[in-house]
Amino acid sequence: MNLAIFLEQILNGLIAGSMYALIGSGIALVYGTMKVLNLAHGEFYMLGGYFTFYLTVQLGLPFWVAIPLAVLLAFLLGMAIQKLTIEYLIVRENWAFTTIAATLGLSIVLQNAALLIFGERFNSVPYYVDGVMVLGDIRLPWQRVMIFVVALATIAAMTWLLKYTRLGWSIRATSQDQDAAEVVGIPVRRVYMICFGLAAALGALAAAMLAPISAINPWAGIPILLKGFVVVILGGLGSFPGAIVGGLLLGVVEAVGVQLTSSEWRDVISFSLMIAVIWWRPWGLFGKK
Amino acid sequence: MATDTDRPMLDVRNVNVIYGNYQVLWDVSMQAHAGQVMAVLGPNGSGKSTILKAIMGLTPVRSGKVLLDGEDITNRPAHEMVARGMSMVLERRRLFTGMTVYENVMLGAYHPSVQKHARDRLEWVESLFPIIAERRDQIAGKMSGGEQQMVAIARALMSKPRLLLMDEPYLGLTPRIVQQIAGIIRKVNAEGIAVIFNEQNVKLSFGISNHGYLLESGRVMLSGSGEEMMKSDVIRRVYLGE
Repeated sequence: MNLAIFLEQILNGLIAGSMYALIGSGIALVYGTMKVLNLAHGEFYMLGGYFTFYLTVQLGLPFWVAIPLAVLLAFLLGMAIQKLTIEYLIVRENWAFTTIAATLGLSIVLQNAALLIFGERFNSVPYYVDGVMVLGDIRLPWQRVMIFVVALATIAAMTWLLKYTRLGWSIRATSQDQDAAEVVGIPVRRVYMICFGLAAALGALAAAMLAPISAINPWAGIPILLKGFVVVILGGLGSFPGAIVGGLLLGVVEAVGVQLTSSEWRDVISFSLMIAVIWWRPWGLFGKK
Repeated sequence: MATDTDRPMLDVRNVNVIYGNYQVLWDVSMQAHAGQVMAVLGPNGSGKSTILKAIMGLTPVRSGKVLLDGEDITNRPAHEMVARGMSMVLERRRLFTGMTVYENVMLGAYHPSVQKHARDRLEWVESLFPIIAERRDQIAGKMSGGEQQMVAIARALMSKPRLLLMDEPYLGLTPRIVQQIAGIIRKVNAEGIAVIFNEQNVKLSFGISNHGYLLESGRVMLSGSGEEMMKSDVIRRVYLGE
């Protein structure tokens, strides 16, 4: 095999992995703070795709206006949905099950709402940037380079937010000990709402970035949720850095695996990797215990 | 009519707490005055932790009232309490174990009402506990139990409380550390901060408190000054083994 092609595949793997990282980090953020496994996370991705489609194609806004707007809409929608559903369930004794059932129901409701509102036709968005970056023997479309740069910038911004801001401190404190967070004056329920919104925004950003190269349809969130699960299981449920590393790792392993076999093997490879991690290190690469 | 001067700082009136089908507190009433150290005594399962959590708003009160400075705070969320001048050290420290000592302590001044005084408070807390400055960047979960208790108390003091609740401050600590923590409670009280703590060991408790309540099976069995309680038959027979 040609070395340049191999490197190109690694880079493509990192690019896909950076998107997996965005999706997984949203699941990790919600699980880490609220201990809720959000089965409707894929639908925030799906809705982010539609928001991007309507803002760019239908309203004709430039992508650098449309994408932040789509992400903001998803953030607000995520907070509203949390406030209307999980908020009431999480205080009950059997919340661990009811929240899973509720988010599963929510996922079905959102899929069908999308089907009714947007229709079943697959939609797509034109490329945001044209051209191909050429680096020696390696050729990468600028579109993909942009995906990677945006993902890295987002991850850096989230890391900074968690480490240095008031909001970040309150999220980390809540994820480590909710009673202690309440007692020092952190409104834990509001932190839940903001985390849910942030997770929705991260999912929507991934969808907005991938919109030109993947079809937007009411069921687009389903495979995304499954990939997100692989990512958080690799990284350790609830670990933000774990989701980033897990996402990038999954992308590279898939890319190399596909290169060695064929693209039909992609999901076999990723789920085998997940099963292997569950077998050898069930708490994930970054999880505890 | 009670005047402002003899109105208790904390007034707990006929509080009932029920977990599922099990009633933990039965008509519990207690009062604490500004500047006092008060002990809540009782064996395991007597409800002495629950009453502190109910006061703080961490456990729902089924009926009855909790008044702080005459204001009804029954079932108000715990995160509002620091703004009202009440703060709490939870049982078994409950630090944010993955965060640094500095982050833990500064989170004690998280609430907007106390945030702007965080720098001054930090200096004051560091003067009480030099270990806060010495171990600033250490991960809190890696400290010993006694050190963690100091960080937990420091964190609770960052909000400049007038009333500090301490849930089993001596639990799981060695006798030497227990003496140290007792000294800290005295120091905190000397700063004009009222303290309510709970503990099983009667002798240990009255070494530093001037008033106490004895709980048994969720009911107040006895209350009074340390001297009065040490003389009572129940305490002498059951708790002091005389």
